[in-house]
Amino acid sequence: MLRLSDRRLMFKEVSEMSDNKSTENKGTAAKDNEEKRVGVFVCECGLNIGGVVNTKAVADYIGTLPGVKVTSVNKFTCSDSGQADIQAKIKEHNLNRVVVAACSPKTHEPTFRACIEQMGLNQYFLEFVNIRDHCSWIHMWEKEKATEKAKDLVRMGVERSKLLEPLQASEVPVTDKALVIGAGVAGMQSALDLADMGFQVYLVEKEPSIGGRMARFDKVFPTNDCSICILGPKMVEVARNKNIKIMSYSEVKAVDGYVGNFNVKIEHKPRYLDVAKCTGCAKCSEVCPVEVPYDFNEGFGTRKAIYVPFPQAVPLRALIDKENCINCKACAKACASGAINYDMQTSYTDLNVGVIIGAVGFKTYDPEPRHDFGYGLYDNIITAMEFERLLNAAGPTGGHVVRPSDCKEPIRVGFVNCVGSRDKNTNIYCSGVCCMYTIKNAQLLKEKRPETDHTVMYIDIRTPFRAYEESYNRSRNLGVKFLRGRPVEVKEDPVTKNIKVRVEDTLAGEMRNLEFDLLVLATGIVPNEGIGQIQQLLKLSKAADGLLMEAHPKLKPVDTTIDGVFLAGCASGPKDIPYAVSQGSACAGRATILLKNKKAITEGITAVVNPDVCVGCQVCVPMCPFQAIKFDEKENKANVLKALCKGCGTCVAACPTGALEQSHFKNNQVLAQVKNVFKFQEVAA
Amino acid sequence: MSTEATAAKPAQGGNGWEPNILAFCCNWCSYAGADLAGVSRFQYPATVKILRVMCSSRVEPAFILKALKDGADGVLIAGCHIGDCHYIDGNKNAEVRINNTRKALAKLGFDKRLRLEWVSASEGLRFSEVIKEFTEEIKNLGQNPVKIDIKPQMNADERRLNASSVRSAANVQGSE
Amino acid sequence: MQKGEMYVGWSTKDDVRKRGGSGGLVTSMLAAALEKKFVDAVVVLKKINEFEAVPIITSDVNEVLNSAGSLHSVPSNFAKLIANRNLKVALPAKGCDVRGIIEQGKRNAINLDNTFIVGLNCGGSMHPVVTREMLEVMYKIKPEDVHGEEIEKGKLIFETKDGKEHAITIDELEEKGYGRRESCRYCTIKVPNNSDIACGNWGVTGDLVGKATFVEINSEKGAKLLQNAVDAGYVQVQKPDEKGVAMRAKIKGVMEDLGKKWKGKVFVPIENGRLEYFRKELEHCIDCGACKTVCPTCSCGDVSKCTEYHFRGDAYKMSMYHLVRFLHLADACIGCGQCSDVCPADIPLTRLYRRFANPVQEQLKYEPGMDMQKPPYFEVKLNE
Repeated sequence: MLRLSDRRLMFKEVSEMSDNKSTENKGTAAKDNEEKRVGVFVCECGLNIGGVVNTKAVADYIGTLPGVKVTSVNKFTCSDSGQADIQAKIKEHNLNRVVVAACSPKTHEPTFRACIEQMGLNQYFLEFVNIRDHCSWIHMWEKEKATEKAKDLVRMGVERSKLLEPLQASEVPVTDKALVIGAGVAGMQSALDLADMGFQVYLVEKEPSIGGRMARFDKVFPTNDCSICILGPKMVEVARNKNIKIMSYSEVKAVDGYVGNFNVKIEHKPRYLDVAKCTGCAKCSEVCPVEVPYDFNEGFGTRKAIYVPFPQAVPLRALIDKENCINCKACAKACASGAINYDMQTSYTDLNVGVIIGAVGFKTYDPEPRHDFGYGLYDNIITAMEFERLLNAAGPTGGHVVRPSDCKEPIRVGFVNCVGSRDKNTNIYCSGVCCMYTIKNAQLLKEKRPETDHTVMYIDIRTPFRAYEESYNRSRNLGVKFLRGRPVEVKEDPVTKNIKVRVEDTLAGEMRNLEFDLLVLATGIVPNEGIGQIQQLLKLSKAADGLLMEAHPKLKPVDTTIDGVFLAGCASGPKDIPYAVSQGSACAGRATILLKNKKAITEGITAVVNPDVCVGCQVCVPMCPFQAIKFDEKENKANVLKALCKGCGTCVAACPTGALEQSHFKNNQVLAQVKNVFKFQEVAA
Repeated sequence: MSTEATAAKPAQGGNGWEPNILAFCCNWCSYAGADLAGVSRFQYPATVKILRVMCSSRVEPAFILKALKDGADGVLIAGCHIGDCHYIDGNKNAEVRINNTRKALAKLGFDKRLRLEWVSASEGLRFSEVIKEFTEEIKNLGQNPVKIDIKPQMNADERRLNASSVRSAANVQGSE
Repeated sequence: MQKGEMYVGWSTKDDVRKRGGSGGLVTSMLAAALEKKFVDAVVVLKKINEFEAVPIITSDVNEVLNSAGSLHSVPSNFAKLIANRNLKVALPAKGCDVRGIIEQGKRNAINLDNTFIVGLNCGGSMHPVVTREMLEVMYKIKPEDVHGEEIEKGKLIFETKDGKEHAITIDELEEKGYGRRESCRYCTIKVPNNSDIACGNWGVTGDLVGKATFVEINSEKGAKLLQNAVDAGYVQVQKPDEKGVAMRAKIKGVMEDLGKKWKGKVFVPIENGRLEYFRKELEHCIDCGACKTVCPTCSCGDVSKCTEYHFRGDAYKMSMYHLVRFLHLADACIGCGQCSDVCPADIPLTRLYRRFANPVQEQLKYEPGMDMQKPPYFEVKLNE
């Protein structure tokens, strides 16, 4: 009589042969009784694979596996002749599954998918095995081991291929409206381009006026154009465009949905006045008794509790800062049009849009917390933005750069570059614009007051683009001194309040003790406070620099990993104005592909619930980062919204019954690979 | 099934024993990192077989159990760095899941054979270093005891070839 | 009546009071709930003989009243019985039953709002087959002569039809391998405060001993249930005396300590050869799947990952079915012992599953079935 142990051995043989059937138990795998006819194509990739792996041995071995009808070795499978070979063999042997053992699927999976699709096979019947990047290239001097490993890898692929199922990517309709978050120069450019193409655009801006940071600059490099002078007309164009609806002093509060069909909730903060009646005359500001520091002027100078953001603001309307308002009602009395309305409430708008463009911008690094280079400790150390506002004719000092301690105009001005950038202690990246604006700032002050003396202390001077190097030369020709060194000590003279700096001139190899009337820190670009919220709302990733991440740094600089969401401007990395404007247009272009075609293609590799097996335990529902699983209370089953599902598989791993399966990465498919990784080894006694 | 093999100490390399390691790599970061290791020709031991999944969070504890049970000497799960996951926080799920699995695997003595690593798409060198390190660790741990305690052992291919003869034998014995 | 209050009560129907375990309060409370349409059905044990009973779900008040009596040798678990049936039900439940019901509630198989759980103090139950053998071997009495049984002050007492009492200490019985089920020995949920209302005879003093039940109201549902029974005239209650309350707390403490002691005895850490230990124990598994069917925390249907990932030919190395369940149940296993009870190959499954569950539940500070805290394995997505 057989022992239980022997009986089990036999069961293994029997069940292994009917392996396909045993894994297709009721409810889980699709019933497919069709015979699997697999063709395996081993590529030599010239000598890349062929020089290390014995491709013939691999092909011969694989040919012995059940289900493999034909094997073939090609020098360059991706070539026309290689692809022709695949197509010929599909026809000759009536293949219904194809395994290509070659380079990386990231290189050529689309190639071979298209190749087999031409022969009438579903493109997901292709299995791609990497025996180059993951085998021949990294075991170059262990040829036998590489060959054995290649056999294992191809065997894994063959077993998986027999379980592959046909899939279709799906189409969703696209609403022909766009949302642009952030009305800086990048956002405005996007909005204008989209509007000019005929699409309705909602432009949401959290500040009371559009224009962004560029509205605060004095002049922009390298042309030294007056910033607001070139920006202003653009702002007016935006206001006039019939297809753009500006929602200023508003924020995005909720985003739901998927490409082509985003449902967005916008919160409109109350201005406490009727914008239809307000003319922006600012009489109310004149009578307001409350003065508070104004962040537009970087803390220098003040504004009233009721104010118009700046003279060129769009929309040119006032607003009340209720936090500081003392309810004296003087403004209501002064307002000729009776626009004031103290009882205004926050209101909301729900929008449905097809695409979203994130242009949420940046803020400058704040050296106060770390007192970088003495900032915040000594009066006469200011940031570059503060310098801009002082330089600006519409700024708090009417265009006179004065030093904070005594409001005198400085003669000796020092500039320190790379504050908050290129620094392990703060941010390691280069902000890209600071060298240029420092060069410009020194230039501008020098031209205004030739008696001034400027020293720029730098690590490197970066002037990459058109006319930048020329601007640098101009500064030098004007007499601006450039010193390659980083200040090691910054002190204040207690009497004069001058700033004493000790710095090594690394090119001359000498220590210098310099004294300045004013020290200006070139602060870098950092994420602003809203970035975290926008990231979560749009389900984006952050890059290493804390700003938002694009889909691919080289080939998809404005796309994101979320279909239908694009990024422009500094929101996706430090950049200068022309780059930001280009990205704005690029986003509009990318978005138009969706808006014009009126449809979007979504992932075929999505999760699917088998309602027969689902018991309604709801473990999966909170798992999904994209909220793609909805629970049907009536049926007591989970349901995956295909358009929202991005195909990560985290719900599939959590499902205890196996009712949730990820198409193309089903449990039985992955397990087939796991089972066939190892050949049983003879063990030394 | 004979059980007197309990006391057998696993073979410590020596007669050309090479660890068999299965690595689950996420499509976006770690698989690309492995590709980069290949492109840069960073050599590493031929012990690792890579299985591609879309996200490290697809990896179920049951897959790991299956691999170890079937004789893997080590299992590596490689995903994106925290904060970089293509699916936002799949790798965080993976981390919690793998840690829980490790606690349970400790019961079977397998906990040191499971490793979780974050490898970005630009870390080709790091990927090769991780494999080299893990291979050394596994070599020191010795072979998976599952392999040693089981007798008899046939080569998988031999078993397949023997299948037809066994089937007829099973039919005869089935009536007992 | 309110949560937290304690009472001593009994059935107003004499025959129920006499027949019932300490005064028949539980039976009457259930019957009252059914009569007044608090619930549509009630689960009770229908007696077959002194050692055997079967659970029934009934809407007949008389069936409920006729079911009175608690049997120590019916180690049932009602959680799976009422799962996925969408019932509005009241049922008696030992600590393990309550835990199973709450876990099924977490998995949406039971609607806890519609389930009135009458907790029963429990020192442990015994296998009917083991009990019969024990009577012959240890007590030297014939099973058919047994009229009633009780556990009191650490002794298992059998009353034979001639009125005589036969008592042996539980410790002595368990030394010899008889007595309670192994999982009962190390259980520490003696007074089920996770139920709606906990009932038992600990804390009943003086004349009322054997004729009344001590109840502690654990929730609003429990308060409603008791109030309804009083209003309907099924049950009479009075305040307990302080001595009784103290005594009850003391007994509870002693029993819980005993449970902890047994836990240490049973779960001796395995230093070496862990894999071999588990493999050897699971060697004889015949894949019947009974353990999954009876497990009160399993809520999957016939098809689930443990069955799908396993095929018999593979099991000679290690059963994938059990491996997956070890993992899936590490945060869910309540140690009720149902799996060991039903295993036809006599594998001590509860012991094996607890070996995984003990350290995991300890480290994650989670006790399944005690409250509505989400199982840690469900909470893989971290809440930020």
